[in-house]
Amino acid sequence: MIRKLLREPVLHFLLIGIALFAAYGLVAPRDKVGTRIVVGQAVVDALAREHRARWQRPPGEQELAGLVEAYVRDEIFYREGVALGLERDDPVIKRRVRQKLEVIAEEQQARDAPNDADLAAYLAQHADRFARPGTISFEQILLPAAATAAEVTAARVSAIRGADPAQLGQSSMLPPRAENVPLDLAARDFGSGFAADIAKLPPNEWAGPVRSSFGQHLVRVTARTPSVLPPLEGVRAAVAREWENERRVASLAESYTKLRSQYEVVIEAKQVPSIATR
Amino acid sequence: MQKQSWYRMAALTSVVLLAGSPQALAQDAPGPTNKKIAYSPYPAKTFPNRVYFGDTHLHTSYSADAGMAGAIVGPEEAYRFARGEEVKSNSGLRVKLQRPLDFLVVADHAENLGLAPMIAESDPGLLKSEWGKKVHDLAKTGTIEGQGAAFNMWIAAMQELKDPFKGQEATMAQPAWKRITAAAEKYNEPGRFTAIIGFEWTSGPNGDNLHRNVLFRDGKDKADQIIPLSYYDTGDPEELWKWMAAYEQKTGGRMLAIPHNGNLSNGLMFDDVTLTTKKPLDRDYAERRMRWEPIYETTQPKGDGETHPALSRNDEFANFERWDKGSFGPVLKTPDMLPREYTRETFKRGLAYEAKLGVNPFKFGLVGSTDMHTGLATTTEDNFFGKVAVLEPTADPIRFDEVIVGRVPADRARSNQHLARETSASGLAAVWARDNTREALWDAMARKEVYATTGTRLQVRVFGGFDFTAQDMERSDFAEQGYRRGVPMGGDLKAAPAGKAPTMLIRAMRDADGANLDRVQVIKGWLDAAGKTHEKIYDVAWSGSRKPGKDGKLPAVGNTVNVKEASYTNAIGAPYLTAHWKDPAFDAKQRAFYYVRVLEIPTPRWTTFDAKIFGVKLPTDVPASIQERAYTSPIWYTPK
Repeated sequence: MIRKLLREPVLHFLLIGIALFAAYGLVAPRDKVGTRIVVGQAVVDALAREHRARWQRPPGEQELAGLVEAYVRDEIFYREGVALGLERDDPVIKRRVRQKLEVIAEEQQARDAPNDADLAAYLAQHADRFARPGTISFEQILLPAAATAAEVTAARVSAIRGADPAQLGQSSMLPPRAENVPLDLAARDFGSGFAADIAKLPPNEWAGPVRSSFGQHLVRVTARTPSVLPPLEGVRAAVAREWENERRVASLAESYTKLRSQYEVVIEAKQVPSIATR
Repeated sequence: MQKQSWYRMAALTSVVLLAGSPQALAQDAPGPTNKKIAYSPYPAKTFPNRVYFGDTHLHTSYSADAGMAGAIVGPEEAYRFARGEEVKSNSGLRVKLQRPLDFLVVADHAENLGLAPMIAESDPGLLKSEWGKKVHDLAKTGTIEGQGAAFNMWIAAMQELKDPFKGQEATMAQPAWKRITAAAEKYNEPGRFTAIIGFEWTSGPNGDNLHRNVLFRDGKDKADQIIPLSYYDTGDPEELWKWMAAYEQKTGGRMLAIPHNGNLSNGLMFDDVTLTTKKPLDRDYAERRMRWEPIYETTQPKGDGETHPALSRNDEFANFERWDKGSFGPVLKTPDMLPREYTRETFKRGLAYEAKLGVNPFKFGLVGSTDMHTGLATTTEDNFFGKVAVLEPTADPIRFDEVIVGRVPADRARSNQHLARETSASGLAAVWARDNTREALWDAMARKEVYATTGTRLQVRVFGGFDFTAQDMERSDFAEQGYRRGVPMGGDLKAAPAGKAPTMLIRAMRDADGANLDRVQVIKGWLDAAGKTHEKIYDVAWSGSRKPGKDGKLPAVGNTVNVKEASYTNAIGAPYLTAHWKDPAFDAKQRAFYYVRVLEIPTPRWTTFDAKIFGVKLPTDVPASIQERAYTSPIWYTPK
């Protein structure tokens, strides 16, 4: 029903134009809404532009006539609908209008580009969010979860004696060797417990076994870099993104808070389920 | 816990496992070390070396039907969530993915994209203008429903503008589109997370689902040169393809379209005739369809599209998350529609078409995706945030009882409806690629080197060739051999050498955080000399010591699910399975396809988690546990 309803062209137009005209209808008496529809050159040009933007070519004569007719039809049904008050208490329209105002509120902030000082301060303030994760290079040999201590030792001895680790243990889809992998990406493949465990292993020896959900791993860590906080130049895009996002969210919240303070909200209902209990 | 299963599996799948005696083998031999390259163990190689998991089909509050149903999570939050951040859900719950996704396509409906207000985003100065200031004043005073001074000023300002479209390049849709592409650009981070630009073209004649998600290979610079095509512009896929061609010509960019929910198309998705002219499919149509629609979304919340019990009577796994009561329109499903709705049957029909037309119109690869309308790409049973915002986790009966399909006519029988509790916590698109970038992922989709999962991140890889041996399965350069001497999923085998049959090398591994595997199957479809199509399912690797029965069927793996506790254990199944399989009934003169299906052991369905968490009654008309699965794109065989 929802989808079906949303495909109704009449509703569609209601959605699009409502911010302006629903409001207009409230202040303008019916006769002032008017039974006169003027399709100016600007409107026709806009319809043609829209067609061109969509189809990558200008509309033909007939197509343009069709677009104008559709515009007029939309306009008429729209005005009639508004005159009947059909836009009121319609959750779709309410939500759309709200979204539009929210966009305006968000856009206000988006206009101000941050400068270096803003970003540097933001970076310093949220160092943990921008620190590059530590990386690790390692080789691993996968053994069954049920392999005995003796089997693990045997594999370790083989590896220490120089057997190719890629030829030891299980065939699986896990990489036998990883170079400079950020620890968080290693966690995506091997699981988070494994990634945390290998971060603590002594380097350059066949250590372990380290358990993962796939089995037991002998692991030789060959290189490790610590987590570092890059200078601003290294993370400018990410910092700017987060800075802007925070402003966007704050701007929206602030806009709502201000508006809310101007309303008296009376909740008369006895039972209002709070979000927290849902 | 996995002790027994491991050894049993080993015995059955000829994986030699004795530690200490070097013999079995990593997937790929590492190449020379190159410290500069991050997470690329095989720097000298060029073939795809890992699988990336993502969602090609997510709606946010910018989709009108999502917004109407309560969604407030927009594109920015959707991308942040997919990248692994905690966000607030539409109902105010804290929500986070267990692990981040590798990529995401925000694919909002093109219809009603006109979210943004009538301000020209292309003109940053406008808000600084008098009019812009008035709009702002309005926003601050909030008198949208009142009659305050600011409101009147706003109206006056609007009238002053005379032409409400002034300063806009095109329509209401464009500003919204630009915000969506801007969000994608902002959160796209090659190597770490890919934000692919896309939208959904929502064609639904009579409520029959012909929807397509359109994915751009390109960035904002090219994507912003168009406005998404909508159902209001055309409902015919052939027109969509023309439109896509025009985009490519204009911008030099690339596009592909991913259809979905043939199960709700009442036979239109893979019809034998064209939509508008009702002409039988011809060679030209087949070529165009495959040019623009190389892959198909076969599993998602509104049902699984692999096959139907009525089409695959000998497939005990066919009855999975089935939605077959009709479409969004009033017409009920009839059995004759089914062959034109499900992918396995369509692959078979494609072989017949190829014999007739010289081109196969249905030679597509497979992905899964979420189609969530919440901005939250959740796919696991224990983290199911519902199809739409009002169906987010809650004890409220709406979460189970809301009617999703079958709302018209209003008096439609319950038995002809699909309710929210039938919604499947599915799925994911898995992409074999070398880099996590828009280009690499898009290219893999275009060449069909992709597979579908029903929501978990189980890994599967298959190569088809004519001279693979069991030893190749164990080679350390398995993948390189696979590419050199065969083809990956989505590929083509042609003209078998005399005496040779297609042979598959298959490796499968369970989700790092998920359930063990039950079995690996090869599903073969073929066209016989008389022009009749057939299908057969081969179990090729499985856990434990099970033996196929007299009917050739492998016994079920068992079930460890504790329904009351919504828990399971990996005491059964295997963490990984491998297979070397040669078609035992190959006829070199017959067209065929082979795809791999991997099944996990049973795990609790999301409704079972709900019953436990919210203390609600466990519904009896959906299973308490399910077997998550993966479907690879086929490998096709074509005779000379």
